Amino acid sequence: MKTFARRRLSLQVAMFASVAAAALIASAPARADDVTPERLLNSAKEPGNWLLHHQNYSATRFSTLSEINKDNVKNLKVAWTMQLGGVEGGGIWTHGGLEGTPIVDNGFMYVTDGWGSVYKIDAHGGKGVLLWKMDPKTDHDWAGAVACCGVDNRGVALWGNLVISHTLDGRLIATNKDTGQVAWQRQVADPNKGEVITGAPLIVKNMAITGVAGAEYGIRGWIAATDLNTQKEVWRTYTIPGKGEPGSDTWKDSQNAAASGGGSTWVTGSYDPATNTLIWGVGNPGPDWDNAYRPGDNLYTDSSLALDADTGKIKWHYQHTPNDPYDYDSVAENVLADVPGANGSTTKIALEADRNGFAYAIDRTNGKFLWGLPFVKKVTWTKGLDPETGKPAEYDPNKQVQTYNASVTPSRTNKVTDICPGNMGGKNWPPTAYNPQLKLWYIPVIESCNRITVEEMTKDKLKPREFWTGGGPSQPVKITGSITAIDVTTGKIAGKFETPFPNLGGILATPDLVFSGQPSGEVQAVDAKTMQKLWEFNTGGGVNAPPMTFSVDGKQYIAILVGLGGAWDKWFIDATPELKRMQPGSMLYVFAL
Amino acid sequence: MKRDNKTPLGATIAFAVIAFTVMTAGAFAQSADPTDVGKAVFKRANCFGCHKWHGNGGGGYGGDALSLRKTELTKDQIVETVECGRPGTGMPFFMRGAYDTTKCYDMDRKQVGAQMPQEANVFLRHEDVEAVADYVLTHIKGKGEPTHAECTDFFGNTSHVCDIYKDAQPSGGQTSTGQPK
Repeated sequence: MKTFARRRLSLQVAMFASVAAAALIASAPARADDVTPERLLNSAKEPGNWLLHHQNYSATRFSTLSEINKDNVKNLKVAWTMQLGGVEGGGIWTHGGLEGTPIVDNGFMYVTDGWGSVYKIDAHGGKGVLLWKMDPKTDHDWAGAVACCGVDNRGVALWGNLVISHTLDGRLIATNKDTGQVAWQRQVADPNKGEVITGAPLIVKNMAITGVAGAEYGIRGWIAATDLNTQKEVWRTYTIPGKGEPGSDTWKDSQNAAASGGGSTWVTGSYDPATNTLIWGVGNPGPDWDNAYRPGDNLYTDSSLALDADTGKIKWHYQHTPNDPYDYDSVAENVLADVPGANGSTTKIALEADRNGFAYAIDRTNGKFLWGLPFVKKVTWTKGLDPETGKPAEYDPNKQVQTYNASVTPSRTNKVTDICPGNMGGKNWPPTAYNPQLKLWYIPVIESCNRITVEEMTKDKLKPREFWTGGGPSQPVKITGSITAIDVTTGKIAGKFETPFPNLGGILATPDLVFSGQPSGEVQAVDAKTMQKLWEFNTGGGVNAPPMTFSVDGKQYIAILVGLGGAWDKWFIDATPELKRMQPGSMLYVFAL
Repeated sequence: MKRDNKTPLGATIAFAVIAFTVMTAGAFAQSADPTDVGKAVFKRANCFGCHKWHGNGGGGYGGDALSLRKTELTKDQIVETVECGRPGTGMPFFMRGAYDTTKCYDMDRKQVGAQMPQEANVFLRHEDVEAVADYVLTHIKGKGEPTHAECTDFFGNTSHVCDIYKDAQPSGGQTSTGQPK
């Protein structure tokens, strides 16, 4: 009897507790560890956390944490590691890889693998403990068959008590931070049209901003905002104007090339709260290499785009490579920096390191060109930028089809040609970092040339979910890399750390250090001023993701995902034959003193 | 005696059941597509990584994989191309010892020189290569536009990958509005 009574009592307590819990969930009171729009705006006040994909809305990937510094970095050691999943293939891919940036909030880390599984890891106590894994059951064949450049997912965002993530098959997913249960999901992109999602969402106010990939499959690109409260779309802005809209006259053909004109948006952008402006990079036009199919400047491909965050309305644009015949997209992140100008003024700039090999500073209040310079050692497609406009010197606004340096430019009459940078670009998606104390901007460089073979496209070749590239690249030339530092007060190169392989991972900057990795396995720390290597650890796997830093229990850590996937080992490996030995993998490394 | 009689009867019944089962299984096996082995090789050897599931290949990021739907190669020529690769192109060789213990196109590794094709991720036995050639000849070579039935035959029904072929009518004209019928 006693036992029974006790049981009934405990049952009643349990029932009461669960009702109370349900009431709690229903009223959804803000908890201290909820990620609010205010916390995201003030991420600088939480140096131990890494709350946004690019660390902060300005996309600097700069952390003020300095327990690990140039005097002691030589003592950096592996603190813990964790084997992740998602290595399996699908579609045209034999395996997945890791390109994500971990997000850390109060000692809890959130990472993704290439197929979009989200892992929550407790990083307290000097070790990593997996708390849950949310597997979105991505449709491998549907998505993998139209993922031009790998089984990739670059990470999550946090909002309220939800983890917000994307999947390659086009979904936006909200997962309960505590339980790992999917709260809701929404189809944002359509793989039936060749659309997939690889970028991390950006949270602005109560919206998740999503970019799309698929310019190699004849999509018409867009950026979309989803209201996280109502789960409904707030706006969707196409990166290629509709008929009659401003910019539509830059598509001068009679076969509606704009409808399949590309302009994808697969790298997470930045946000300027002072003007409520999103600044987002736009990808290449399609077909990539047959620019005679799409005469005109092809706005807004290869552009940096400024949009009103509430409406998606375009405020300004800056196009880098009009009528691009090279696949030199401008999908890269724009870094927002404030630099001293004339007479004690401050210039608000947006920095972008373009696939075309040039670094650009744009006035982010109006989209006007300020300065630009090549950050790679070899550029052959143009003799340089016009110092006033920043356009390639050979650009002729009266020409329908640009030829630039015609002797090397792919065209219908120059069908096999070598270009520098190669079509992977001088810099691809791996993010730059900007040290606002030193005013130095660090670019992960792919020092490259490659060979383009042009295929003349006709409208009948345009088919859903089939490549729409107008040719393809091959790799007869060895490709190397560097981290190149640019002084943004002078617009000049301040230093270079040259590497035997291209930088496919991206950069983290701390007050006196720069961290990055090599596809041959080494994670490295470089002196932020002298660009001399101070520390190195060989992870044994190809680095294809950016490092980040956080602190927990008062101790600083460096974290990086390791597992070579992406485009390189399928499309570009012949340019780095030594990397053929790198095995697929999926591993999280965390370092500490 | 009775026991002795019973045993053969039980054995006979058991034999009959087994025989029936074997015959049934055999009947099913005969009705299945004999090129299923080749289809499995097509997947396992990642032929569809470049040639695509439908075999049309095509230009793209990785260069040009030739169309197997438009190919004019015979079975022997397909077998040779798979085993030896195509010198100077991205088509790898799938035969262990190609250009080393077995000459290809009358060339060894030294003679083919810089045109040496790359080694595939898997090596295939000769029977596997013949099977994949039979699969290509039966299901891909000479076919027109890919169909929904061909697609689901390749992928099954657990993915959305074939959805875009659902409404494709040979006569054409109408595009689907996406509304369920």
